[in-house]
Amino acid sequence: MSADAAPDAIDGVYFDGRSARGQAVQLRVQQGRLHLHDAQGPVLDVPVHAVTWPERLRHGQRQLLLPEAGVVGVADGPAFDAWAAAWGRQVGLVERWQQSWAWVLGAASLAVALLASGWRWGLPWAAEVLVHRLPPALSANIGDQALASLDRQLLSASELPAARQAEVQRQFADVVARATPVLGAPPPHRVLFRRGTEALGPNAFALPGGHLVLTDALVTMLEDQPAALSGVLAHELGHVQHAHGLRLAVQSSVVGVVAGLLVGDVSSVLATVPTVLLSLGYSRDFEREADAHARTMLEAAGLPPSAMVAFFEQLEARRASERGASRLPALPIGFSSHPADAERIAFFRR
Amino acid sequence: MDSVNPGRDHTPAQVQEWPVRFTGSGSEYFRIWIVNLLLILVTLGLYVPFAKQRRIAYFCANTRVADQALAFHGDPWRMFRGFVLLGALAIVYGVASHVAPVAGLVAFVVLCAAWPALWRAGLQFRLGNTSWRGLRLAFTGDLPGAYKAMLPVFVPLMAFVATSVLLGPGEQESASARPTGGLIVIALVLLFVLAVPLSMAATRRYQHGGYRLGRQQARIELRNRSVYATCAKAVGVAIVPAMAVAAVVGILAAMLVPAVAGGAGQGLTGLLLGLGIGLAYFSAAVASVPYLTARLQNLAWNGTRSEALAFASQLRMRPLLWLTLRNWLLVVLTLGLYRPFAVVATARLRLEAVTLICHGDLVNLLGDAASRPADATGEAAGDFFGFDLGL
Repeated sequence: MSADAAPDAIDGVYFDGRSARGQAVQLRVQQGRLHLHDAQGPVLDVPVHAVTWPERLRHGQRQLLLPEAGVVGVADGPAFDAWAAAWGRQVGLVERWQQSWAWVLGAASLAVALLASGWRWGLPWAAEVLVHRLPPALSANIGDQALASLDRQLLSASELPAARQAEVQRQFADVVARATPVLGAPPPHRVLFRRGTEALGPNAFALPGGHLVLTDALVTMLEDQPAALSGVLAHELGHVQHAHGLRLAVQSSVVGVVAGLLVGDVSSVLATVPTVLLSLGYSRDFEREADAHARTMLEAAGLPPSAMVAFFEQLEARRASERGASRLPALPIGFSSHPADAERIAFFRR
Repeated sequence: MDSVNPGRDHTPAQVQEWPVRFTGSGSEYFRIWIVNLLLILVTLGLYVPFAKQRRIAYFCANTRVADQALAFHGDPWRMFRGFVLLGALAIVYGVASHVAPVAGLVAFVVLCAAWPALWRAGLQFRLGNTSWRGLRLAFTGDLPGAYKAMLPVFVPLMAFVATSVLLGPGEQESASARPTGGLIVIALVLLFVLAVPLSMAATRRYQHGGYRLGRQQARIELRNRSVYATCAKAVGVAIVPAMAVAAVVGILAAMLVPAVAGGAGQGLTGLLLGLGIGLAYFSAAVASVPYLTARLQNLAWNGTRSEALAFASQLRMRPLLWLTLRNWLLVVLTLGLYRPFAVVATARLRLEAVTLICHGDLVNLLGDAASRPADATGEAAGDFFGFDLGL
């Protein structure tokens, strides 16, 4: 270690922490202690390990935080780094890492890979583990709350004749019973009938705890297609079986937190865009899983899965007539909560 | 002139001005941010307080006033304690509100009751751990003051909660269907909106009035009237581009819709309506947020002074508007990777708009740190948990 390559002393300004008056000093490290000298003589010495040393950076002032009180500022950053390297200041791993563009690019790729695999596998897995450990009473409670709230806003009492309701119940119970030897005992569930708003149209949904809700419009639309109606219920039972509702809630809240972390302080509006798009991706996965459940259940009950094809075609025809046969393009699939009808029809036809 | 102690060879009668300089670089902060991000992901979030310490230290070391930068003394392990406590609160709140409305309501009220105290503790921690020329800054705002400052938000909020409880559990959604309930809800929302400028003024008065450096205790003059006027102008600034967008879309619709046959025309109207509302909302936000940010920063800092120190903030809306637009665009195009550059550019624009004005000899004016009033318990609580609420 030669003296001209690395100066053993460097200029700085010492503030004692009690007054704002600065004192021009020279810094020197000897035998594990930092010594401050001014023109008159020694000012202060402290153990090297008790000082909070500034990280090596290209910009900004170097500031040494002294134990208890006091700060030493060094204006010449590069000279400080050479001086600190000369007496062998310990450089942390993170500090070294953020200096190297190669390592930073590695970190960036690793972060992207972690985010992608966390989104694809990690988060769904963790949500599944978590949700299956929740007490069943809890999810039943959440489902009851959700149903009560829907009943106030979007649903009203069914206007279907009791006989028709009983018929649908019986047909589905029969399918469940015939599928049980193949699929095992189904989760607790209850088929409910409600009149939905105009916008809801022919629709069905499942709530945590096992409420399977059918709108009157759907039951009427599938009047002469009992197999399709059972298929729809089997699809909703698949959502219940795999606890999709709670998993989606958990997964989209975590995605929201991570998106907020990434771009939230630039704009919170911006952070909602990836949250919504990624959550819709999860939703499409769950729909596919529920479709698979419906298909297996129909097959096990001896019904043709292709019964569902007519259902999708009817839905599509209805939607087309609502759009007034316009040639407006539908939104890209990335903005949809369900897979494309064509994909689902192909799945049930196969 | 003595570069170590600026202003020493000036007579006390003279006025010194020091523009704030920001020396940070986007590419350097990008490297810090990427490594922080990776470590946060690998530790499933536990690294957040350590990342925050490194980020605050970087921004302090690059904020230079009169030749000396700020220094951040926060201990990341203390910040970790505060992080864990706040995280636990957030999880309890999130779970409670998902499980049952009553539990969620209780958790919400508890959180509201604790919030001003947490806010004050955060200010104490951040200021108390920042130093300039070796002197620690301090936050001297008292606890009742924190609650008073939050009152303009809390009164309408609590009234809202009370109304929803009184209307019966779960009745609030259908309240709009019932005339009295609906009127009460509309009145409360209106009250809430009208109280927003008041709350902006009150929180800024509390914050800026609590700053202290050495012997210099800040006070602030910020009239409710001027904040209301600024907010009213911001609404105006929001309406102009929104109207312009609405007009363009309207003309477009008037030209296109009659040309398309019946049903498709309806679909097209719907599409244009959606597009128009989205674009109008976006342009309103894009114009009014930078306006409000710039004007409020200037109002608050120009009104802040102590015995011998004062500030001049001349942040102009137009540069901030262009910067905000550019940041949004580049963050979207780079899928978030531009974010650290955006943060550095915004900090530079906002900080360099400020000048510190000192009447007399800076060193003598700041004086002894020992003369700073002791509020040991509050400060210790803030310091022990290392609360830091802001990003």
